[in-house]
Amino acid sequence: MYRRTTVLVCYNCGGNNVFESQEPSHNKVGLLMDPQLTSQIVPTEEVGLIEECLTRLIEDTGANHVLLLDKSGQVIASQGDGNRQDITALGALIAGTFASSREVAKLLREKDFRMLFQQGVHDNVFIALIEEQWILCIIFNKGTHIGLVKVLTKKATDDLAGVLERVRQQHKARDDVLGSSFRTSMEDTIDLLFRD
Amino acid sequence: MALINVAAREIHCKIVYYGPGMGGKTSNLQYIHTQVSKEARGELLSIATETERTLFFDFLPLDLGKVRGFQTRFHLYTVPGQVLYERTRVAVLNGADGVVFVADSQKHKLEENIKSLRELAVNITKQNKKFQDFPIVLQYNKRDVPGALMVKDLDRFLNTLPPPGGPWQRFEAVATTGVGIFDTLKAISKLVISKL
Repeated sequence: MYRRTTVLVCYNCGGNNVFESQEPSHNKVGLLMDPQLTSQIVPTEEVGLIEECLTRLIEDTGANHVLLLDKSGQVIASQGDGNRQDITALGALIAGTFASSREVAKLLREKDFRMLFQQGVHDNVFIALIEEQWILCIIFNKGTHIGLVKVLTKKATDDLAGVLERVRQQHKARDDVLGSSFRTSMEDTIDLLFRD
Repeated sequence: MALINVAAREIHCKIVYYGPGMGGKTSNLQYIHTQVSKEARGELLSIATETERTLFFDFLPLDLGKVRGFQTRFHLYTVPGQVLYERTRVAVLNGADGVVFVADSQKHKLEENIKSLRELAVNITKQNKKFQDFPIVLQYNKRDVPGALMVKDLDRFLNTLPPPGGPWQRFEAVATTGVGIFDTLKAISKLVISKL
């Protein structure tokens, strides 16, 4: 079985100056508590819960593949068919679909569409929103009933919303994760790779 | 929003090329796709109309390899520039870490440039991000067109953000031949990484 799990740190650019600040480190933590300035990390134990949740969803529904995405289209976790080579593009397109449907909802004066269903001849895609931040996507074929997918996805999104909520409570500075010399090394790599 | 995958040691960043229609956003990605090594680039995915105008977005994943133990990936997107796709641009901009604003240097395009930049400011602010802090790089494209506006004139109308957020870095470019394309990409990449 293909397994890929992503732990995330999300940032809001409004808070990036926190890392440039000359403030003592204990003050940085205080600044990071501001919702505008939040960094988030999924700790290892939460990664385990995400994996468990996606695996259970596949086993219980008989789906082919399950993806957990951030709303920007980045793949946080993926379980299922190990032959899929198109996960990155799938993530971008599904997140785009969802973002597009959100704009449709606004035009219709709906808050948002929390679920989307795309029906094909062989494969179907069911997409559910988790707390405005993550997107759960289930790819399944005609061997699986949509009703079952809907019910079990609801359960999974509730579980994952719990994970997301705990993740939001986590605050950690970038340098704690990447190391202080990361930026210099990154700039060298960019100079080396991005050239005619 | 940038994702840092601590378990798998991966970093993902989203960069969006924004600007008026026919300004050269897709040409930027096409040139990058032709120049970056096969190992570093993914497939260029384009959702376009029959006449090759961008309908939803272009998407190009770039893999910079390992930096300080972290596999680093940049996901480049373009928005459709035509006025009627305003809501689609909102959708693509969702979760972006940085923006390249591709301005068209032609004199008769100045008003479109200004309108598009104003719209970008509104759309970023709608995402609860501070526009003045958001990572943005300007690209003055089509510098080879006869009668192109002088850079100082473009600066006067487009690069007006006061310090500390502005003025932005800006680059002269000819996207079809590659002039300035990688300078722009390097600048926005470094800016995004610096604010991670």
